[in-house]
Amino acid sequence: MFSPAGMFSKVLIANRGEIACRIARTLREMKVRSVAVCSEADRGAMHTRVSDEVRVIGPAEPRVSYLNVDALIAAAKASGAQAIHPGYGFLAENTAFASAVEDAGLTFIGPAPEQVRAMGDKRAARALAIEAGLPVVPGAEGGDGAALAREADRIGFPVIVKAALGGGGKGMRIVEDRGALDEALASAMRVAASAFGDGAVYLEKRLAHARHIEVQVAGDGTGEAIHLFERECSLQRRHQKVIEETPSPAVDEPLRARLTEAAVALARAIRYRGLGTVEFLLAPDGAFYFLEMNTRLQVEHPVTESITGLDLVQLQLEVAASGRLACRQADVTRRGHAIEARVYAEDPARNFLPQAGTAVKVRWPAAPDLRVDAGIESGDAVPVHYDPILAKVIVAGETRAEALERLVRALDESVVHGVTTNLPFLRALARAREVERGTIDTEWIERDFLAGFAALASAPAPELALAAAALGELFGLNGAPQGKAGRQRQSNVFAALGRWRHPGLD
Amino acid sequence: MRSEWRDGDRVRMVEVAAEGGGRYRVTVDGAPFGVTAARLADGRLSLTTDQGVTIAELTAAGARRFVRLGTLDFVLDRETGGAGGRKARGPRAPGGGLESPMPGVVTRVMVAVGELVEKGQPLVALEAMKMEHVIRAPRDGRIRSVAATAGQMVNGGVPLVEMDEETG
Repeated sequence: MFSPAGMFSKVLIANRGEIACRIARTLREMKVRSVAVCSEADRGAMHTRVSDEVRVIGPAEPRVSYLNVDALIAAAKASGAQAIHPGYGFLAENTAFASAVEDAGLTFIGPAPEQVRAMGDKRAARALAIEAGLPVVPGAEGGDGAALAREADRIGFPVIVKAALGGGGKGMRIVEDRGALDEALASAMRVAASAFGDGAVYLEKRLAHARHIEVQVAGDGTGEAIHLFERECSLQRRHQKVIEETPSPAVDEPLRARLTEAAVALARAIRYRGLGTVEFLLAPDGAFYFLEMNTRLQVEHPVTESITGLDLVQLQLEVAASGRLACRQADVTRRGHAIEARVYAEDPARNFLPQAGTAVKVRWPAAPDLRVDAGIESGDAVPVHYDPILAKVIVAGETRAEALERLVRALDESVVHGVTTNLPFLRALARAREVERGTIDTEWIERDFLAGFAALASAPAPELALAAAALGELFGLNGAPQGKAGRQRQSNVFAALGRWRHPGLD
Repeated sequence: MRSEWRDGDRVRMVEVAAEGGGRYRVTVDGAPFGVTAARLADGRLSLTTDQGVTIAELTAAGARRFVRLGTLDFVLDRETGGAGGRKARGPRAPGGGLESPMPGVVTRVMVAVGELVEKGQPLVALEAMKMEHVIRAPRDGRIRSVAATAGQMVNGGVPLVEMDEETG
């Protein structure tokens, strides 16, 4: 079953979109066969086209397809895959899935199920971090409403109420003063119970003007662990990361040493296996605090790949297959600066409402220091059922300034027509003076940027744009006839190809 | 040729008159200017005005037009005009319907026909791309009709609920 090097010969990708395409690319690079899975709504989607095999696993709704543990394991078994890569989102941090995969005799490309569980419960994760000697945000892990209220008084307002099984900003409430606490606790417990199946919540002090810095780590499962430097992800809107970069402009060498040492200490303490990310908040005074650990490949992993020259998916596969880290800390070096911008199907001019439809025309720029991880090509459907991320535009430069200039250009030259995207928002963000200076924090977009952007986004379109639209009607550039002609041409091509087909292959 | 375009919150009026030789007189919101236009390949137009030459790239998706001028993208929606024409998105004038602001799946319908509702009261919840969006009553009134059912998939701009103004 295993190739001579001990690597898997076939891996199932339990995901869709850009990350499934990204994983398929490394599998192909490593000469491992890839099995894509898709819902009925995703038949023919890009991730199925770039994989070696496809299995349809269920209807459109994620619950019965991409979150369907039995269907995924059955697909892996039927296709002869030896391992499952969960990507991010969906079942990537689901303990039951990780266990079910291993119980089925397959390899879960990720940490051990108990590590997924421990880090999935944010209170347990805090406790483990404290045990490993990491500073955590002042807060309170347990007790009922009254106990939490006493703790809130002790640490001081404002505080953040978080769901124990939440993460990534889901189920979070900021409470400004004591008067609003009881209501916020009750509401957060209700939301947590319905969203995560457990009403447990905990408190953290809200740190003003904090930056989000995370450290990429990798462990072999026996206590050996390395770091791959930090990433800064402070540019967020509603706790959703928008632009990420590495290195962080707020981290100097001494701070980097302390951050990476803390992250590695945690990974070692829990004998972490595979790739993980230790997230920290960096306060304006330079103090940092453990936030949570993500036990999976991150959306923003390409910036780390860019500066280190490592393929993180390959690293995951090697650890999963051999139980060893293919590189030592001393082998990991970095060069230059990398920035990633996430292209989402959402309308930045209308309160970032999610968008769906057909991405009629998709065009990405190409340049030596540019990488685009996309999950769509021209003509692809963007279904309503899934995460709105369409693609990631990743640039590199010798310096941060150079990378940022390249990001501006790359975003200007990226075209997605047919589905409204946040590209105008990203273009404005990449040009913002505070972004250029690096003087940002996790609330900067909402506090200082959105109002100005909204004014920009609601400005009338130039007369020439209106003229182009109206002239387009006159010239027949309004869709239907063109599309028909295009299809006609395409079917003729296939008809012509058909003649050259070998008789025995039909 | 006259056409109306929704541009964010506003409706823009455009009139195009051919003057021969690829020249057009284009009037946008009452302001006229001259354009020499030529159709290029792949949905592109060459537009020459007294400001110079601009290449516009046009993509149609239903009534929506994606217009790229240089490196700037604009989204315009063709208004069909007339009595049946959609004049505005979202909450309409009194008596009108409440439309889905985005394509999505109806997750909850919180009102029934004949029910009295207060301004701000949640009526229907839609979910798309893992985000929930709640449509609320734009004013006090009575529910005239409910077109949405839970679990149903809807496109953007589809009427979900109709309200009457409460008169007593």
